[in-house]
Amino acid sequence: MGEKMGDEVYSDLMRELKEGKYVFTGELEPEKAGDVNEPIEMARELVGLVVACNVTDNPQSFAYVNSMAASYLIQKETGMECVYQLRCSDRNRMALLSDVLGAGALGLKNILALAGDHVSLGDTPDAKPVFDLDSTTLIAMIRKMVDEGKDLGGNEIHNPPKLHVGGAAAPGAAHLKAEVAKVKRKINVGVEYLQTQVVYYTDVLDKFFNELGKVDVPILVGIFPARTFGQANFFHENVAGVDVPPDYLEAMRKTKEIKDKEKRKEEVDRVNIEFFTGFLEHLKGTPAAGCHMMAVGYPRIIAPLKKVME
Amino acid sequence: MIAQEQKPMEEILGYLDGKQKVVVMGCGGCATFYHTGDKKAVNEMAEKLTKEGKEVFKIVLPFSFQACDIDKSGIWLEKNRKEIENRDAVLLMSCGDGVQIVADYIDEKMGIPKSVIPANDALGLVGGGPTKFKETCQSCGMCELGKTAGICPLTACGKGLMNGPCGGVRVGNKCEIDEEKDCAWVKIYERMEKLGELDKFIEMRDPHEWSKAKRPRLFEIENPVNIMTAGIGALPGFIRLVIGPKPKLEEEGKGE
Ligand code: SF4
Ligand code: SF4
Repeated sequence: MGEKMGDEVYSDLMRELKEGKYVFTGELEPEKAGDVNEPIEMARELVGLVVACNVTDNPQSFAYVNSMAASYLIQKETGMECVYQLRCSDRNRMALLSDVLGAGALGLKNILALAGDHVSLGDTPDAKPVFDLDSTTLIAMIRKMVDEGKDLGGNEIHNPPKLHVGGAAAPGAAHLKAEVAKVKRKINVGVEYLQTQVVYYTDVLDKFFNELGKVDVPILVGIFPARTFGQANFFHENVAGVDVPPDYLEAMRKTKEIKDKEKRKEEVDRVNIEFFTGFLEHLKGTPAAGCHMMAVGYPRIIAPLKKVME
Repeated sequence: MIAQEQKPMEEILGYLDGKQKVVVMGCGGCATFYHTGDKKAVNEMAEKLTKEGKEVFKIVLPFSFQACDIDKSGIWLEKNRKEIENRDAVLLMSCGDGVQIVADYIDEKMGIPKSVIPANDALGLVGGGPTKFKETCQSCGMCELGKTAGICPLTACGKGLMNGPCGGVRVGNKCEIDEEKDCAWVKIYERMEKLGELDKFIEMRDPHEWSKAKRPRLFEIENPVNIMTAGIGALPGFIRLVIGPKPKLEEEGKGE
């Protein structure tokens, strides 16, 4: 029989969260490719800047390199601890179960359990959507595997995986009360930390924390400094529950007009630092345990933003 | 009822390629209700096929005689055995249920195997009316409605989640997948709130037991409803419904 929640620490991310350190995490996105060279390069730049990086699992239902394989290779090549994102959209409970065992065997230490976007939103829209489990039942299953060494059917697991499970929360959800009730449900079944969907507005975040009240699990707040206008706009148009502020979008759009590549980069950085400084300053006064910087393909922005929090 | 719509003519003609003599058969059940297999639909289809140079024979089933109810539709099939025998294919204007039951019957019972081709796409078990319907149940074999305030998590939620809402709820509490549709889990929340059952909302519902839907499911009853008793028995109710006064609600406590 394993220890109860909170007794064991398997990952650096969880250690820092337990120690009450202010935590920064990053995000890496495997691509539609037969290798993971690019996220590995990105990870190298982030070593030392963030404690761990999320490795996305078919984000927005675009089919990319398997996230477990990518997490393993990134961790092995760069030493960057990975948070293996695992979605319910594409796998039934058996596949999820064997993936969790596989992740344990490969030495992955963190899983972010997600329902995932519906397959019809992505680039393989005729796929059969699975959703055999949802984020809550996936979290419960992982805790059972890790803590009790049992699978869903109650079968004994020899040498159970040693890893932590996080879950998502959406502060900008259209129906905040229902969202918060769901988050509490995840907490009840043993989620070990929460990572929020990207937030841009401080009042949205404050309302969320207010509605949630005091909880025992650490919460990482997601921000998304975009590397290009296109990235920011894609988010604005395609991600439900996230409103990208018009002034930020406009400032990002203007950077497109700068011909000189280096100057354009400088301006993009300036826009991001200016916009997020205010947000990060505000974050210091909230119950957030850290910040998840979803700066995909944009590692150079992490250091200056971290500085704001010092 | 099983909602359905007709397939594009192009697709139907593709299946009928090389098949010159065709039976077009309707259905007096759901397909009549949704105008995909009633007399008018059969006539229109026959006309189109004739224009395409096919030789068509029509079988129209009267209202309430369903293609999938082989006890009844079998009578029409037997009556038209000769015509079926002489044709290259049967185009069936019903849901997939009717298509398969009829195909089995003419192959295995009548001994005249024919391609039976679907003219329609079945769109699900729907409720509502008179003009608007929504899919409400997928006959999963283990009803969860008692845990979700009477709203099916498997069917009304675009992802079929047992523990929603997902993070994708759109402005106006619309579904991530389709902004025309309401988020089922917000509805479940709101109904449970009205019922004072939010504590149940926060409880985790176990993963659904899909073992209850091992397909194909077979089913048997002891006393089948027979044509005469069902027809005559239903008549008084039907007349009352059409011409009679609106039924009064029983007063509280009365009749106990
Ligand atoms: S849970 Fe949904 S699909 Fe299953 S029987 Fe009940 S209403 Fe139908
Ligand atoms: S938005 Fe609501 S109904 Fe749509 S998939 Fe998410 S939880 Fe289900």
